[in-house]
Amino acid sequence: MPKLSVRNLTKRFPVSGGPSMTALDGVDLDVEEGEFIAFVGPSGCGKTTLLRIIQGLETATSGEIRIDGKPVTGPGHDRGFVFQQYGLLPWLTAAQNIGFALEAKGIPAARHGETTERVLATVGLKGFGDRFPHQLSGGMQQRVGIARALAIEPEIMLLDEPFGALDALTREILQNEMLGLTERMGKTILFVTHSVDEAVCLADRVVVMSPRPGRIREIVPIDIPRPRASLGEALRDTPEYVAKRHQLWTQLMDLV
Amino acid sequence: MQRSAQASADSKSAGEPAAASDPNRQRRRERLLQIGTLVLLLAVWEFAARDANKLLVAVPSDIAIATWELLLNGELLSATLDSMSTFVLGFVIASVIGIVVGFAMGTNRTVEVILDPYINALYAMPLVALIPILMLWVGIGFLAKITIIILFAVFPVIINTVTGVKNVDRHYLDIGKAFMASRFMVYRRIIAPYALPYVASGLRIALGRGIIAMIVAEFLTSISGLGGLIINYTNAFETAKAFAPVLVVALLANALTVLVQKVEERFGRWRRR
Ligand SMILES: Nc1ncnc2c1ncn2[C@@H]1O[C@H](COP(=O)(O)OP(=O)(O)O)[C@@H](O)[C@H]1O
Ligand SMILES: [Mg+2]
Repeated sequence: MPKLSVRNLTKRFPVSGGPSMTALDGVDLDVEEGEFIAFVGPSGCGKTTLLRIIQGLETATSGEIRIDGKPVTGPGHDRGFVFQQYGLLPWLTAAQNIGFALEAKGIPAARHGETTERVLATVGLKGFGDRFPHQLSGGMQQRVGIARALAIEPEIMLLDEPFGALDALTREILQNEMLGLTERMGKTILFVTHSVDEAVCLADRVVVMSPRPGRIREIVPIDIPRPRASLGEALRDTPEYVAKRHQLWTQLMDLV
Repeated sequence: MQRSAQASADSKSAGEPAAASDPNRQRRRERLLQIGTLVLLLAVWEFAARDANKLLVAVPSDIAIATWELLLNGELLSATLDSMSTFVLGFVIASVIGIVVGFAMGTNRTVEVILDPYINALYAMPLVALIPILMLWVGIGFLAKITIIILFAVFPVIINTVTGVKNVDRHYLDIGKAFMASRFMVYRRIIAPYALPYVASGLRIALGRGIIAMIVAEFLTSISGLGGLIINYTNAFETAKAFAPVLVVALLANALTVLVQKVEERFGRWRRR
């Protein structure tokens, strides 16, 4: 049984004074436990909408989501979400933002400190717990967002363009860290990106989506052996990387 | 950080008349300008009103002497305590009611639809018109004064709280939803902090209106407190003494505004400076 299965998922948004807008149209996808799936596609093809429905932030118009065979009806602590932007509460410190998720999960306050320290250290932010978001760089803020999702120990992590707003260098550093992190933890991960590089580096399979209406166009397996983190920069020189990157590029170019 | 501080220190010592660029000196000069203007104004007043009818116009020196007298005989202090205790109680009740009602309206559409027309109408109307009728119901004593202060102060708090609560950024609410925060957590950790600056500006407006209400109530209901001193000394043609409580009211209003600002800053530390 797949960890996550998406069946015939359709989402229509009402449009005032016109026909509704079909953001997702008959999306089918099975994700195995421990798999890293990247979603790429032109903007507006429904990547965010798909992730939000899986998280339970949005309800589908029709279709079904199952986790371990059980239908998903709303948000759950089995899924940890990392937002693209505005993902932290600006009036709470990094540690308090993480504590927010822990408190929401019902973990007693006495255990927050220890967990918070651990996940901050995991994302390389040891000692930054009492900084407010505005005192952190964009990359650090996204790390806090990732730390918060890790803190609730979800089975599935959903990340919506987590590095989308970062500069190229920070982005590459975080990609490499993400690679190390996910290969150590072996969690099931759904990761939206608009970067083909990022998708090929990180994913086991890349889902290519097309817009109007949002559909899955193709699912491309990436057979670069793991652990890839140890390869470092050499990862980007492997023949598989170069070939898959080229293939995805061509496919995306056809879509826009 | 250190580097840039060093750099700016260097550029200062490197010469060029530092006076204009030194913020401290600039501020001192501006203060001096303001104080000078005040002294000039008082002097002009003193001289211009010197030959006027003392029953109608008081000069600054007389006001200073009168204020000193009222301070010494304790009249000013007891009137201030009387007014302030009424005001503070009324203001606190108005704030609590305003925030609670505002939260209820901002989070519950039904409550909003029902209350909104009355709140807007009462906020817009000249509430002074209601005071005589109010006195029929609650008399002319302490209760009347408290009621009038609440009536004047409560609506801006409600309206601003509603605005803040309804404006909460959807992104922040999504965080609560994604991590399954309880309703209480969403109120406490997301909506309340977001709405705080709106509430605070409502409180500042309420403060001004509440002080007006206090004085009006002291004029129109049982004559007492600072408003009472103003009325009584004006009626007795002791104009200089009537000015003393006016001064106190002005000072108090400004001090309380600063206090609300400080409280707001304390809770808004997370904001970028
Ligand atoms: N809340 C909404 N209301 C109306 N239309 C929406 C809403 N959210 C997304 N859409 C529309 O659905 C489509 C897919 O959006 P989105 O999932 O954000 O795409 P992506 O993340 O791939 O850029 C877009 O055309 C967008 O305008
Ligand atoms: Mg998106």
